[in-house]
Amino acid sequence: MFPELGLIFLIISTVTAVLLSFIPLYASYTKNHYLFSYVKTLTALMTVTISASILCLLISFLLDDFSVAYVANHSNTQLATLYKVAAVWGSHEGSMLFWVVSIAIWGCLIVFSSRYQAPLFIGRMIAILAFVIAGFNLFMLFTSNPFARLLPNFPIEGRDLNPILQDIGLIFHPPMLFLGYVGLTVTFAAAIAALLGGKFTQQHASYLRPWVLMAWVFLTGGNAFGSWWAYNELGWGGWWFWDPVENASFIPWLVATALLHSVVLSHQRSSFKIATLLLCLLAFSLSLLGTFLVRSGIVQSVHAFASDPTRGMSILFLLGVFVCGALTLFALKANLIKSKSDFALISRDTVMLLGNIVLVVAAISVLLGTFYPLLFELLNLGTLSVGAPYFNSIFVPLTFVAVLLMGAAPLIKWQQQSLNRLYPLAGLFIAASLIGVLVAMQTRDGFNPWVWLGATSASWIFFTLGYLVFSLRQQGIAVISQKAAMIIAHFGVAITIIGATAVSNFETQELLRMGPGQGKVVAGYTFVYEDTVDVDAKSYTAIQANIRVTDSSDNFVGYITPQRQTFKTNAMETTQAGIIRNLVRDLYVSSGQQLSETEYLVRISHKPLACWIWIGGLMMMLGGLIAAMSGLYNLRRQQVAATKPLTTAQFAVKEPA
Amino acid sequence: MSHAYTSTLMRLLIGFAVLLCISLSVQASAQTASDKIHYTPDQIRDLGFEIAHELRCPMSVNQNLFDSGAPIASELKGQIFLMLEQGESKAEIIDFLVQRYGEKIRYQPSFSGATALLWFGPILLLFGIIAFAVMWIREQRKHQDIKANTYE
Repeated sequence: MFPELGLIFLIISTVTAVLLSFIPLYASYTKNHYLFSYVKTLTALMTVTISASILCLLISFLLDDFSVAYVANHSNTQLATLYKVAAVWGSHEGSMLFWVVSIAIWGCLIVFSSRYQAPLFIGRMIAILAFVIAGFNLFMLFTSNPFARLLPNFPIEGRDLNPILQDIGLIFHPPMLFLGYVGLTVTFAAAIAALLGGKFTQQHASYLRPWVLMAWVFLTGGNAFGSWWAYNELGWGGWWFWDPVENASFIPWLVATALLHSVVLSHQRSSFKIATLLLCLLAFSLSLLGTFLVRSGIVQSVHAFASDPTRGMSILFLLGVFVCGALTLFALKANLIKSKSDFALISRDTVMLLGNIVLVVAAISVLLGTFYPLLFELLNLGTLSVGAPYFNSIFVPLTFVAVLLMGAAPLIKWQQQSLNRLYPLAGLFIAASLIGVLVAMQTRDGFNPWVWLGATSASWIFFTLGYLVFSLRQQGIAVISQKAAMIIAHFGVAITIIGATAVSNFETQELLRMGPGQGKVVAGYTFVYEDTVDVDAKSYTAIQANIRVTDSSDNFVGYITPQRQTFKTNAMETTQAGIIRNLVRDLYVSSGQQLSETEYLVRISHKPLACWIWIGGLMMMLGGLIAAMSGLYNLRRQQVAATKPLTTAQFAVKEPA
Repeated sequence: MSHAYTSTLMRLLIGFAVLLCISLSVQASAQTASDKIHYTPDQIRDLGFEIAHELRCPMSVNQNLFDSGAPIASELKGQIFLMLEQGESKAEIIDFLVQRYGEKIRYQPSFSGATALLWFGPILLLFGIIAFAVMWIREQRKHQDIKANTYE
């Protein structure tokens, strides 16, 4: 019964979404206030029905209803309850439903919040969101129905969730990323609403800012968790491999980063409004393009789990509709958006503009590298691979330039900066690059330019942030705390850069044959292979190597226990690395193929400062979260101040917003 | 005044471009060193891993030789270490494997007419957009000055 209910709810929400995508636009066009009052009701109806729909899918999972194809293909009576929940978004159909539900809830929160004082703008925005929801609902209903049944011959046991996905990563990484994409959808809708109204005021920018920040926080989290998961899972290329699927989520992150700085400019300086709107459109389009890339299976990736060419076509069609529509509207209406631009060439405005340019160029470069093998084959030029060495050689220098601008921006004045105030900056840069030289000399073969770039970037950020706090000290704690979000996030970038530079350039690795009783010294740590044991867990059996680790002064560090797991349901094999972590280094051991009766191919790595990569990511998220919360708080304050003298009903159309 | 700023900025940009070219050519010249090289065991290990990281496993979906557990990957890793012990350079080893397994094995595509866009696209795009932005800012300034002059 629940699957039918779910399908009915999905259909109801689709119909509601179609209505909701026309009514606000028609109402604002004809200035029909009565019609406009339906916006809240319809939004609530759409959100409740679609949430009920995903709830029905969840119940089907929990009740092990294997007559539902999606459940039968991705669950099993033996599966832990937590993974049954996570399996809802574990594959294509369910993740689409999850995505649509999140858009509806986010939109609903905005419509029902009393913070926003521009009903026309919000009405248009919810119409666009409903349009997106309707599009994806129809896509689900016609090509990937999550409630499709396997009647009458349904299996008595499900096929199990892909063993590799049965990991804590599945619980955090995909929802985070989807919520990031949802945030980008909301900003896309807001940009279209602004274009439809032919107006993008500072007030609109102040609404947009927390949404962009939240989207960015979720995207950062999605990427960071994904990277952490890939690091723990052997065969996924480590913490970052520039795999097409990784790039598909990284490109929107880069554009979202540019967008969030552009929104700051539009909000505080009333400038670069057209750039902000364009970035909103671009970020959403690229996130859809990423979805297409991942779901269509046109690229080879170790992370693609739900690819199917027919879905690719449908997503490409939706992408075409949204992007062409949005860009046409942009071309028609962008000239109505008025920006201020009274700043000199040496000013914070310019520096931030340049930073955004570098970020967008980086995003486009990653996109180019990701699509190049495809284009190459389409043009019959043969085959080629574009991988980590290419991306690093393009991306690292661009990051360096972005970091230089990022450190300088907070120290340069808005509008105009006299040149002689830049001398302290030059001093700081010289100091940072000297530290860079010192660190770069530490590598095995003398001076390493990549290390210099990393170390200089990180120390430049530390120095400029330190100088900023120092020069603001007289203005008191209030001014500094206003900038706390930015300081924390930029600090996080430096931490991530340090981690990435250290892991990429100072890692020590060994690949060797090992059996019980054998040992090896790597980077001062002694690894002794004690014995091989069989482990029997709930869903898999494993061959586990017990490796004892002691440090250079013979203190016991711990046991590392890498496993080769065989899953009971489908005999699939995976390799789980064993890791001992602390703040300074990770010791990473994985055991590979069996070479003789007792010996295995063992890989031992010493990865200095590895966890700094993700600590930095968490700091960026924290900074973004603080900025978003303070933005929402300010909106509330403004709203309280503004509504006191007003007694008009809230949803009356007061002004052409 | 603003002209001076522009030229400083331009000079900085040009300097950056020159630096990039130098670093690229240094890399290139490091790779052309030929003849038999005698490596220490540590060098063989590091260089072998480095090469294995830059090549794609012919059997796996998207994994480098180093990470791949496929039999062919172990064989090729063995081949790399063998050739290093024989004193071959990194470029020679990669060329040898590219000849055997095709261009696709290389994660860093070689430079050719067909990959020129891949290598120069990002740099051209960056300088193109920056030049456009700088021109736009100066244009805006001019408008501001004209406005200020006419109204005051």
